[in-house]
Amino acid sequence: NMAIRELKVCLLGDTGVGKSSIVCRFVQDHFDHNISPTIGASFLTKTVPFGQELHKYLIWDTAGQERFHSLAPMYYRGSAAAVVVYDITKLDSFQTLKKWVKELKEHGPEDIVVAIAGNKNDLGDIREVPMKEAKEFAESIAAIFIETSARNAVNVEELFQKISKQIPPLQNPDVESNESFKLTQQPPPSTRRCC
Amino acid sequence: MASEQLPSEFDVVILGTGLVESVVAAACSRVGQRVLHLDRRSYYAGKWASFTFNGLLSWIEEQSKITASEEHDWSSQLEDGEDLIGLTTGDVSQVTNLQVFNYTSEEEEQVPSLEEEAKEDEEEDEGGADQTPAGETQEEGAPSSESEVKEEINTPAQKSQPEKSKKRLTYAELLKEGRRFNIDLVSKLLYSRGALIDLLIKSNVSRYAEFKNVIRILTCRHGNIEQVPCSRSDVFSSKLLSVVEKRMLMRFLTSCLDRDTPLLYQDFAERPYLEFLQYQKLSENLQHFLIHSIAMTTPDTPTAAALAATQHFLKCLGRYGNTPFLFPLYGLGEIPQCFCRMCAVFGGIYCLRHSVHALVVDKCSSRCKAVIDSTGQRISCSHLVLEEGCFTQTAPPTRCVSRAVLITDGSVLPTEAEQQVSIVTIPSESPVRMVELCPSSMTCIPGTHLVHLTCQSVGSAFEDLSPVVNRMFRTPDSDHPEPRPEVLWCLYFNMPEGLESEGGELPPNVSVCLGPDGSLGHDGAIAQAELIFQKILPGEEFCPPGPAPEDILYQGEEPDASPAQPGEEPEASSSQPGEEPEASSSQPGEEPDTGTSNQGEEPEASSSHQGEAEASPTCKGEESETSPSQQGEEPDASSSPCTEDSDTCPNQLEDGTQG
Repeated sequence: NMAIRELKVCLLGDTGVGKSSIVCRFVQDHFDHNISPTIGASFLTKTVPFGQELHKYLIWDTAGQERFHSLAPMYYRGSAAAVVVYDITKLDSFQTLKKWVKELKEHGPEDIVVAIAGNKNDLGDIREVPMKEAKEFAESIAAIFIETSARNAVNVEELFQKISKQIPPLQNPDVESNESFKLTQQPPPSTRRCC
Repeated sequence: MASEQLPSEFDVVILGTGLVESVVAAACSRVGQRVLHLDRRSYYAGKWASFTFNGLLSWIEEQSKITASEEHDWSSQLEDGEDLIGLTTGDVSQVTNLQVFNYTSEEEEQVPSLEEEAKEDEEEDEGGADQTPAGETQEEGAPSSESEVKEEINTPAQKSQPEKSKKRLTYAELLKEGRRFNIDLVSKLLYSRGALIDLLIKSNVSRYAEFKNVIRILTCRHGNIEQVPCSRSDVFSSKLLSVVEKRMLMRFLTSCLDRDTPLLYQDFAERPYLEFLQYQKLSENLQHFLIHSIAMTTPDTPTAAALAATQHFLKCLGRYGNTPFLFPLYGLGEIPQCFCRMCAVFGGIYCLRHSVHALVVDKCSSRCKAVIDSTGQRISCSHLVLEEGCFTQTAPPTRCVSRAVLITDGSVLPTEAEQQVSIVTIPSESPVRMVELCPSSMTCIPGTHLVHLTCQSVGSAFEDLSPVVNRMFRTPDSDHPEPRPEVLWCLYFNMPEGLESEGGELPPNVSVCLGPDGSLGHDGAIAQAELIFQKILPGEEFCPPGPAPEDILYQGEEPDASPAQPGEEPEASSSQPGEEPEASSSQPGEEPDTGTSNQGEEPEASSSHQGEAEASPTCKGEESETSPSQQGEEPDASSSPCTEDSDTCPNQLEDGTQG
């Protein structure tokens, strides 16, 4: 029985670069040109094995709140990793990438793993962002770099494998004794001591 | 990506992202309304906001600037038969009597944190600093520089705390670590069976937040800080109570939960609670706990009201912890943001730094047809929801809350388990409640505590609360023998309570949301949001559960995974190394997800359709129990565990008396 670790991953990047498509490809191995912008998805999950652990990714999409620069700080809370996506065929989307990275440094957790994904690499013939430039930028901020194609299922799995590799090993779970918790419909039985 | 224009047609336009507005936004969006949610500020949650330390400093600065209302002529946007109603465009903050005191040391220099004598010398000089006029920020003010000087002549204090030479935090460190603070403007807690918790769970918005139990209820009596026994185990282990008192308290609390209680206090219903407790022959000890910490009221509160509060308190015990209260990680400001996310997830459009300047009103129907936004764009809507203070208001607020926010260097009642969230009730003419937050609540940095004090305003926040601060903490103005945590930085301000607006003139399809009230819980805000929602969409369900992440399918897509069998571990089985992991989690039939249960034994309740049970990750480190009856039931069934539990409560208390 392998230990399961929940890892929150938040997606960042301009509207239309293919953030949802990447998640959709990763989680459901599906691509749709007319993907409806993420209606009803609070986050999607997928579990992948990594070493002696299972990594259960909880992948949060921006739900459109990036469109008018109105992402809430709660979006970044507790994220183990962030995937910042740009579109290799749109120079603009690469230029604003730096802004997203800056926002991440401001609001995101300090130890967050950052991955930069140049999506739509199936459209190499209309490429506007040279891979070298993007790679150098990623290196300068110690981020993972990969070019992906959600459409052709290229490098999407690899993106998350690379993230898994960078996730620091699990610490002793007993360290924190009075942890926080999520609310459930059925409250846990209260811990009563017998006397 | 910047200059995109907003769509010009919505069902509901909402201005302001406070709790009430955000719940309305989520509720409307959830049932298919097209929602535009705006806030003129650059941050979420308005008066309910939570700030980093640096963010709070900017907020303080903003409060002292009164932004003048801009004048615009939008009449060119009008069509025949329409009128304009202008809104205030400047931010009417309504926060008054703002005062800041900084007691951090200015330099990176280690000082023994105890300097009683130095403190006393300083006192006279401090007098001036206390009178800082409202709005003036005094971050690098006199107190710290003076303490710097006095440190030289500091003699080691005899009553030194165990941590001897603790470094005093410098202001530079505070600024540097500022982003790790989350400082709420409003200080409230969540009752474990209150309206907000119920709504978070019912709507599945609870997925977006994590909580901590408030571990201790403390009170201040005769200058001492004592832990109030409220659960059975507390009562037993309490050293403050005699055996007789323990029995009496148990008997009394048990009787409070009895349905026949009204008969018991009939004659006292309108008489002061204190008289009733005296009549019950409860000791002074018990009277204090029962009045101030359990009913959280005053001795002269009518007995019926005090007992209702006591009952609510008792029913909330044991659902999540030994006190009735929860606190969200990262602060209360998270909660409105969580509801906003729910709204966005269902298609709501969000735009901060964007406002509404005027309403377009149809002369015939007198309904609001559209709004003119801050860019001059006309946006049509069927309903408009506004935060309070949008209309030029003449009447000054009648009720205010006095607030103090302190960053201290320790807990008022240190224990071995340092990481505790506590509520402290401090009896006074206007009872003060104090919430002490530890670093693991993600609201302050290690080595500090964040303390919120709140009371109904009698005078300015400083007048109302600084005597309490000086009594409970070490400040340049305090003088008590007991070792107490030191105040490093503090802020006082008054905030008006949400008031019934004089909205008689408003178009019928415009609603105004009130700001936070002075009570400890959130029932008022949630009731208000539901009322506004019902007005907009009569008969629609208020915040039905969102689908579980596992149930989201992109349009028309059928996953090729085989359905997971209940009782199996689909996650584990779905992920063969080297193989394409199946998307079994997307299968809409059933999804027993063992992943989140630490014990790995109890499959969670699966949410197979939208009307069903919560399927969010369970309470970490605790068992998640899925009662068979839960399956296939509507979420309203959540009331049954409630009654069940509250029934067990008296038994539990009775057990205690026998022990």
